[in-house]
Amino acid sequence: MTPQIIGLVGFAVLVALIFLRVPVAVALGAVGTVGYAVLDGWPAALLVLGKAPFSFASAYDLSVVPLFVLMGAVAAHSGMATELFQSINVMFSGRRGTLATATVGACAALGAVSGSSLAMVATMSHVAVPEMRRANYDDRLALGSAVAGGTLGILIPPSVMLIFYGIIAVQSIPKLFAAGMIPGLLLAALQIGVVKAITWFRPEWAPATKPAAFAERLKASIGMWKLLFIFFLSIGGIYAGWFSPTEAAAVGTFATIVLAAASRELTLEQLTDAIVESSRTTAMLFFILLGAIMFSYFIVQTQIAPSLAHWVTALRLPGLGVMLFIIVFYILLGSFLESLTMILITVPVFAPLAQELGFSLIWFGVLLVVLIEVGLIHPPMGMNLFVLQSQVDDVKLGQLYIGSAYFLVANAILIALLLAFPELALWLPRVLY
Amino acid sequence: MGPGGRALAALARWLGYASAACLIAMMMITVADVTMRAVFNRPIAGTYDLVQFFLVGIVFLNLPAVFLAEENIAVDLVDHFASAGTIGLLRITAAALGLAFLGLLAWQVIGPAIDSVRFGETASDLPMSLGYYWALIILGLFATLPAAGYMLHKGFGRPTRRPEEHR
Repeated sequence: MTPQIIGLVGFAVLVALIFLRVPVAVALGAVGTVGYAVLDGWPAALLVLGKAPFSFASAYDLSVVPLFVLMGAVAAHSGMATELFQSINVMFSGRRGTLATATVGACAALGAVSGSSLAMVATMSHVAVPEMRRANYDDRLALGSAVAGGTLGILIPPSVMLIFYGIIAVQSIPKLFAAGMIPGLLLAALQIGVVKAITWFRPEWAPATKPAAFAERLKASIGMWKLLFIFFLSIGGIYAGWFSPTEAAAVGTFATIVLAAASRELTLEQLTDAIVESSRTTAMLFFILLGAIMFSYFIVQTQIAPSLAHWVTALRLPGLGVMLFIIVFYILLGSFLESLTMILITVPVFAPLAQELGFSLIWFGVLLVVLIEVGLIHPPMGMNLFVLQSQVDDVKLGQLYIGSAYFLVANAILIALLLAFPELALWLPRVLY
Repeated sequence: MGPGGRALAALARWLGYASAACLIAMMMITVADVTMRAVFNRPIAGTYDLVQFFLVGIVFLNLPAVFLAEENIAVDLVDHFASAGTIGLLRITAAALGLAFLGLLAWQVIGPAIDSVRFGETASDLPMSLGYYWALIILGLFATLPAAGYMLHKGFGRPTRRPEEHR
């Protein structure tokens, strides 16, 4: 049996184990270890396995993950999210669909301090959905805007998904953060466009609100200064050359805690919960990463990635055609697999292929995250849909599916724009570096 | 939950607090280092090593809690069409595989840890033995083993009918 065939068998076993309820971390680690042993013998495989926990858990670059997770958790646990939502609501008041626009706007702004989509959906389900229901919004618009807005957190920096992609694809995390900025803002604008289109065609779905006075709007816009300050301090600090990503994450998290506590939006109990939750989330994420690293070692040994790249090149298929195939593949995969798992399993194979076809791996990382966002909100298995359903009472699944489906149009347009204009992702990293 | 389960839960909780303390320590030492560098042009020596040490603590000291709370990500798509008995069997198989993998991992880290101490390996800036890093890894993994074992044992005692079938 050739190494490539062994690799394909390994993939099949991995997918089977994952669908048979084996935790993703265990499935990745077990298949990676056994596969490595089949190719190189048990002594080599066990040596790699024994050294893996130390080599990855003590990697300084990875320390950015728990810190950014904590920053997002503090923002979510404190009253910052509510304040932000209300500020944006007042700023856009007087138009139809203001609350849905405020939901997307608040998600985009919160995305600047939080890298987790699920945390944002959970936050918005408590902050925004009840407000929209009170204002007699149709559930399709209320629920759709909350699940779709939640995805902005993993594209607008800091993004945990981009960090993990950067680690697996060996790409610069600051460059990936810069690359996600414009597409992230563009997606927020497109989602607001979807809200506007819905309220244009179905005005009864979103009753108009009274416009706020100019002074009230001005006061509301000032209410956003905290998040802007944290974003410019941490993410801006990376590009200004003040901080490394880890330092930026630590300073940003510290500033978030101090500002939230100073404005009495954060109790000691909430802070403790955020810290305990973040450290546990980190342990869970890193255990998956440990399994993924074993699986990656195995995949490298199989030579599947260069063989696939060689095979595709020999077929002389157009690069765009192959990329369209990859896009369809990820959308289908997103129907069944959790987002981080998708990155960890597929990037070791598809990143070398994308590079061989002449695509930038920074651009590919952004495209991948947009595709993962599609997976998070498209029926039937979108994780954000489940999170919202678990957090909000009386959610009819059909309404939720229809609501999220409207917002998929925004992602489809962004994917098309990224394919047509790769500079949307590549311009900012080039200017900053 | 029996006395064994309560003891494991208490162990996982306290190790979880230690992990959370590592997270706070990591943030504070980094902020202090940045401040000292910016204000006094004197960075704190060994920050890099301490951040790495705390990261090891955050990850491995919280693994028992992750296993006990069943927070490992798993795809439960099969639940929609499999029988309750099949789901129970799959749960047990997954827990057994998890325990086996953890056991192998825990056993295999001992060798490199002993080698590291024997060869006197130290952190890059501080005169701190890498044995401390390995000790956290070993503590975390060996504390996770009984947690994974407990979850496997619990799997045998789960109801064999789906919740909706109870109604």
